[in-house]
Amino acid sequence: MSEMTRVALDAMGGDNAPGEMVKGAVEAVKKRKDIKVLLTGREEVLKQELSAYTYPQEQIEIVHAEEVIETAEPPVAAIRTKKDSSLVTALKLVKRGEADAFVSAGNSGAVLAGGQILVGKIKGVERAPLAPLIPTAKGVALLIDCGANVDARPSHLVQFAQMGSIYMEHIVGKKNPRVGIVNIGAEEEKGNALVKETFPLLKACKDINFAGSVEAREIPAGEVDVVVCEAFVGNVILKLYEGVGGTLIHKIKASMMTSLRSKIGALLVKPALKATLKDFDASQYGGAPLLGLKGLVVKTHGNSTSKEVCTSITQCVSFKEQQINEKIQEAIGRPEDAKSVSG
Amino acid sequence: MIMEFEKLQEIIADVMNVTKDDVQPETKFVEDLSADSLDILQIITELEEAFDIEIDNEDADKIVTVQDAVDQIKKVVE
Repeated sequence: MSEMTRVALDAMGGDNAPGEMVKGAVEAVKKRKDIKVLLTGREEVLKQELSAYTYPQEQIEIVHAEEVIETAEPPVAAIRTKKDSSLVTALKLVKRGEADAFVSAGNSGAVLAGGQILVGKIKGVERAPLAPLIPTAKGVALLIDCGANVDARPSHLVQFAQMGSIYMEHIVGKKNPRVGIVNIGAEEEKGNALVKETFPLLKACKDINFAGSVEAREIPAGEVDVVVCEAFVGNVILKLYEGVGGTLIHKIKASMMTSLRSKIGALLVKPALKATLKDFDASQYGGAPLLGLKGLVVKTHGNSTSKEVCTSITQCVSFKEQQINEKIQEAIGRPEDAKSVSG
Repeated sequence: MIMEFEKLQEIIADVMNVTKDDVQPETKFVEDLSADSLDILQIITELEEAFDIEIDNEDADKIVTVQDAVDQIKKVVE
């Protein structure tokens, strides 16, 4: 039997906590024997939730945490002051090596800040990017960074390209993934100062398959597998993707109900449409990992239901089995070669 | 205080991926080591664990140089 992957789940974080968090944990352990979930949160509440289910008892453990970091709380202050919160407790389990991964649907800023402050970056990694998978015409692409580092430097983007390539190759199974930098034109001379400075560095980077600039309209077409940008741009892309996807689905459904003819057509096309729309269902992709940390930290949507939570938990197994952090350490971390800032 | 400074030096060098020689009392976290706010908080958190202390958020905000961090450790330990 493969080694157990221990996942610390912040059971009190997110709009649907603790109910959907606990349900997701139960679904995950029923699906896989090689997962153990450490639920952090108020013990009496979690015991009550768990009592509704039958599941392998040895695969779920409760770790009591009294406090909860609310969605709107200032993240850094919350991390520092609420040391007995479900979120901080779960991160510390990873820090101490008692868990291999952390999953939370809670306060995004607290997850991002806490991931770096408490779990810490792999030596050599300058910034830890948030990297969700997004659907494309050719499957999926990795959007990196979409929320962790609003003011990035060229060297950060190069590392994002390296980490993103490792993830796409070993988790998604995409051989020699194509890397593109988000730009407002195809030419190397186009773009803002950050893009213009980063472009030659990406070209020179031997660890990646650099395909050049990628314009926004090319992203859904799947022209590249790793979409590199700073967090401000990435977050805009992600939210626009979600908004357009949702609006399109809504409009298609509405137009199908306009007449008897369209309703009949809808019935006929429903199976094919369902299969296509499934690609745009965020829940099947799990959460977004924060890459480059000493342990795996996964942020799942604030409104996640048990399905997303279950997927986010089970995705941690591949990350551990594929030794993603070790590969990132090898590619980026050079402990014997720490740079001297004084020249 | 020499042992505390050496431990602090080790933590900072590890987090910022620089050599220990780059970490001197007058070294500024932001200007000299290119640390951002999260880097500084990571360093403070690791200091707190290493020395089994707690540094107030207000005092943490005042840390600009390595010497400031040393002074905070001294303040809490004493």
